[in-house]
Formats: sequence, structure tokens, C-alpha cells
Amino acid sequence: MNLATVNVGAARRSVHYYRRGQGQPLLYLHHMLGLVGFEPALAKLAESFDVIAPYAPGWGPAKDDLTDVDPGPLDLTLHNIDVLNALGIHSAHVVGISIGAWMAAELAAIAPQRVDSLVLVNPLGLWLDDVGGADPFAQHPGMPSQVLFSQPDMRKQFLFDGRDKMDAHVEELLNLRASAKFLWPIPDTGVARRLPRIEAPTLIATSEHDVVVPAAYGPAWRDAIAGSRLTTIPNAGHLAELEQPDAFANLVRDFIRNHAMPAVA
Amino acid sequence: MKFHWFNLMPWPYLPDDFTEKHRSVWVDVDSRLFDARKANRIYNDYLDLLELAEDVGYDGLGINEHHQNAYGLMPSPQLMAATLARRTHRAAILLLGQSLALYDPPTRVAEEMAMIDCISGGRLISGFPVGSSMDDNYACGVNPATLREQYHEAHDLIMRAWRDPDVFAWNGKHYKLRYVNLWPRPLQTPPPIWIPGGGSLETWDFCAAHKYNYSYLSFSGYIRGAQLMEGFWQRMEELGSDFNPYQAAFAQQICVAETDAEAQRLYEKHARYFFSRCLHVYPGFADAPGYRTEPTLRAGLASQMAGQSSALNQAAALSWREMIDKGYIVAGSPDSVAEQIEKVVDSLKIGHLVCLLHFGDMPNDLCRYSTEMFANKVIPQMRSKWKGHVDHWSPKPMPLEDRAEPRTVTPFARAGKDNAAKRVAAEVK
Repeated sequence: MNLATVNVGAARRSVHYYRRGQGQPLLYLHHMLGLVGFEPALAKLAESFDVIAPYAPGWGPAKDDLTDVDPGPLDLTLHNIDVLNALGIHSAHVVGISIGAWMAAELAAIAPQRVDSLVLVNPLGLWLDDVGGADPFAQHPGMPSQVLFSQPDMRKQFLFDGRDKMDAHVEELLNLRASAKFLWPIPDTGVARRLPRIEAPTLIATSEHDVVVPAAYGPAWRDAIAGSRLTTIPNAGHLAELEQPDAFANLVRDFIRNHAMPAVA
Repeated sequence: MKFHWFNLMPWPYLPDDFTEKHRSVWVDVDSRLFDARKANRIYNDYLDLLELAEDVGYDGLGINEHHQNAYGLMPSPQLMAATLARRTHRAAILLLGQSLALYDPPTRVAEEMAMIDCISGGRLISGFPVGSSMDDNYACGVNPATLREQYHEAHDLIMRAWRDPDVFAWNGKHYKLRYVNLWPRPLQTPPPIWIPGGGSLETWDFCAAHKYNYSYLSFSGYIRGAQLMEGFWQRMEELGSDFNPYQAAFAQQICVAETDAEAQRLYEKHARYFFSRCLHVYPGFADAPGYRTEPTLRAGLASQMAGQSSALNQAAALSWREMIDKGYIVAGSPDSVAEQIEKVVDSLKIGHLVCLLHFGDMPNDLCRYSTEMFANKVIPQMRSKWKGHVDHWSPKPMPLEDRAEPRTVTPFARAGKDNAAKRVAAEVK
């Protein structure tokens, strides 16, 4: 499936995105490593929703846009509002994972009318001294994202299979650079102060084997967002949608169906 | 040809099992290995050596900046420069440190350098490195995605503060100052600027654009350095910059003894301490994502794919002979050292050699011996090298006869009949 592009906002920033499926719109905000094509988890979600998966400014084909966004929530959130506007979507189910879950939470807190429901998987953005978490930015430069996977060989399998080795490695490092811009040196983004503003039905999910966002962060997010639910994804590391695409997609679909869709006659 | 004396001020008491029991000499090094009572002696020993280096004829005294690092005891090179400004009289103060993004506001650097330049009578060389990822990103928390932007903005701000005599407002992206008005101001406007680098390609263009000295600081020696310096000179030519060897400096470990065999006996263990314990750095701290630009990343990955290791401590496993043959260390009798130094200078085409004559846990007296031997028996053989070129990258101090020297001021109570005391006594009456 090919990437589409759309120009958004006053600066007409070019956004690269995948879009497939029918039904209510679902905005997917990616993790620290961006998108690995139109991933199986997204394809599965596209059976039930109109899935929109854009690259955030700084990631993948948008690597050069990183200098145009300041660290902090404002520029990224305005960008995501611009994306919805440009695609003519008033509101959507918003699903974020990893750093994308932070962006999703910011969008839901700052522009609650644009978010019908919210799913946050392995969300970054809170910091608990007692829990900590592995530092995703202090890893061996030869295998910088290994720590994000639950099995060592998964990095090669998901990021390098069928790709030019140099290009894949550079993209991996540049995606981590983009993540670092917003999460350096400690992934405390200040979102804690804004979480009480969230109105959308919310599901928090943590992965069983995530060492970057240990499962102990789950209750902290749940307690900060009124009425939210918490669940876990077994047998997955930080990048749960890559490792467990079916479980990920089912969890999102079922939550939206059961808690965020008006009962239809 | 100019020769500068430099050491990193390493901690000399890392235990024998350091590399097995600890993951890094840098960033998260175990602070329990530090002993402040021992540091009292070490700092003074190292400063004594710098002062001796001036005495025996070195052109500059090198100091630099590292944080949370057991091979570098100088988180503040400015403090070292301050004491050298008072205690030395002729040599350049070669301040290779000052990672600009670590100073907020960066005008602090402009102020401190102005103070050092005034106190020393214009002997300052101001080094502006981007700094290592270990220092900038991990120890000091600067965001790697914005580090280079901050560095360049800080540089522009400092240079303007030094040059612009008027109060100005600085409305930058990273720094905002309503009233910039440097006071005191440096004697040299500006001091010579050296850019210490480890091989980032964009640093070369920066040096060419501003006519700055490029100082390649590597611990891998001149043979591996030659390839990189070749790239530097090629780039300078492409950018239309006239060749001048004084626009480049290189740091090299050097030790001298009466004979080659004596050099091995005296220095090998200290070189091993340096290459194994001091360069034992956790690879996860080497390169924060975003620290290197994409072109530099690609160049680095290409050389790794071609089989070149990027590990800092790769010399640790070599024999003494191999360390010399591969250029990690220049060692031997004065004549054999002179021969090797000639190769260093010719292959890198450099006018400034930064001589790492102290390394690892080398005791002070031994370092003194090597330092003096190099000064007396090697430097004279090389002095006239690059005679036809003008060095624009050394300080231009005040004439010696106009320069203030520290004085010994005796309290009036003990001054007796000194003239000043008599004059004041007369006024008091």
C-alpha cells in the first residue's frame, strides 16, 4: 500500500500517511520507530474502521520537518489538528502507542471535541522515580532499538527484512532522534497536568515485556484519566502492534465497539 | 612548527579489575572510586606539570572539558585556565574545552574568556568544541536533536558579544537576552578560535567558513588520523581555502626515553592503563540519537560496514610494538621519536602538535623526564618545519615589557622601609 500526501496547516506542511478501510475514522499515532509500512495491525483495524496513519513531523519521510516543531505538546498537537482538518475529519477514534500515545493524550486533553475515544498503548510521558524504565536513548549504537523488542532477533526481522541495510539503520537512528527531541533526557512531558482534561472514553494498555514503559506505569495513567480502563497485552515488548498485531487490533476494536460507539438500532 | 603540552588529567587510581567490574569510565562511573584527599595532590601535580611545560619551552598549555569522566578531571577548564593565567607568563593558554551548548547564557563563555585574556595579557586560544555525546547529552542533559543548533547559536552570540561595542538584543531560538553588553572584554578581538572535533564532516565547512583552526582530537593516533585529515584538507581545497598547516592541529600520545627499550620499560604499563581502563566507555553513551548528522552517520556506518571498528578502546589488546606501528603512540629514543613525529607532521600536514606527554597513571617525575627529553631533544629537530607559512592561529599577546606580572605584595606591617609603604605612611600623616 502506498503513502498518500496531504498539505496541512498555514505552512502547508506535507504529511505522508496511509489510509484504508471503511467506517468511523480512526487516527493511529505511531511509536518511536514510526511506521513499518501499512502494518498488519493497521490492516486488521481497517476491516472495521477508516484507518488514517500519518508520519509525525520528524519521522520517516518527514525527517526534515523536525526542526520546525518545538519540543513540548503544542506544535505536535496543532499539527495533528491540522491533519484532521485537512482530511475533513471532525472527530476520530485516536489510537496511540509509545510516543504516539503521548501525542494522542495531548490531543484529547487540548482538543477534546476532536477525539471520540482514546486508546493509549505503552504511553510515554509520565515519569515515576520508583519505576523508572530502560533508557531508549542509551543503547548500543549498532542495535539502538533492540530494547524496544521482547526478543533480540525481532529488530532485524521487523526493521531490516528486505531493506537496504544502511537505509534501514539510518532511518532507525533518525526516528530515535525525533523521539529524543520530545523525550530527552527523561520522558516526563508534563502531560500529567493535562490528563484530567480528557473527556473521551479511554483505554490504557501496557505490554507484558515492555522494559521502557514498565507495566507499573499503567495504574498511574488510569488514575489520572477519569473513568479510564486498564489492560495488558501478553507476550509483547514496547512495540506491541508489531509483535502482537491481532491482539492489538482486537483490543482496540473491542474497546471502541463496547465503550465508544452509540448503541445502534 | 608549534608544540603544545596537554594532558587529560586522568584519575590514576582505577583498580586493576576496573574493566571487568564497571561498565563505563564515563557518565555513570562509580563515584566511590574517587578520593578527594588524593585529588588534592593530583590536581596540584598536574598543574605543576603544565607550569613546567612552559618552563622547558612548549608553545601552549592545553586543557579541556569533560564531565563525569574518570580520565578527565576538568569539568571546568576555565578554572584551570585561570590559575595558569597567573602562574605562567609566556605560553599560550590552549583552552580546548568549552562545549558551547553547556553554557546558558553563552555570554558566560564570552565573559570568562575575556577575563582569562585580560589576566594573561592576551595569551588565550579559545576552543569551541561541540563536545562529546557523553558530556553534552548524557552527563549534562542537552537534547541531542537540538545540540548543534544551540552550539551554532551560542557561537554566533559569543562572537558578536566580543566584537560589537554596542549594547544589543539577542532574540535567538534558544537564547534570548534583552541587553548583551560584554564587560570585561578580551584583549584579542577575538582570540584565535580552534575547533576541536572528532570527525564530523560539517565541522570542516564551519572551520573553512570562519577561518578557524581544526583540531582533530582522537586517541587512535596519526596513522588512522591521516585518512581523516586528508579528507579535511581536500574539503578545504574544494571550498577555496589556501593551504596553511597552522590551520590544523592533532593530538598524539608521545613518550621519550634514552632508548627504545627503555621507553617500553618505562611507559608501556601507563599506556595500557590509558587504552584499557581510561577508554572503557559503555557504547550506549557514545552516540545519542541525533548527536551526529545524517551525512556523518552514513559515513560512519560505511566505514563500519567496511570492517573498521569504532570502539574507543581498540588499542587495549595490542602489543607495545603494534601500538607504535599503528600510530596509537609515538615512543622511543629521541631520534626514533623525532622520526615518528616527522611522519605525523608530514602525513597530517599540521602546524600544531598537541603532545599528550602524560597519559594514564604515569607518575609525575616520569612525565617530567619525558616532557623535558621531548623539549630538549626532539622539538629542536622539528622547529623549522613549515617555515614559509604564517601562523594565524596563535595568540597575539601584549608586548612582554607592557604586560603585568603577578607581584608579591608584602603586608605593611612587614614591609619596613619599602618605598610604597613609606609613601602611604606619609599620606596618612
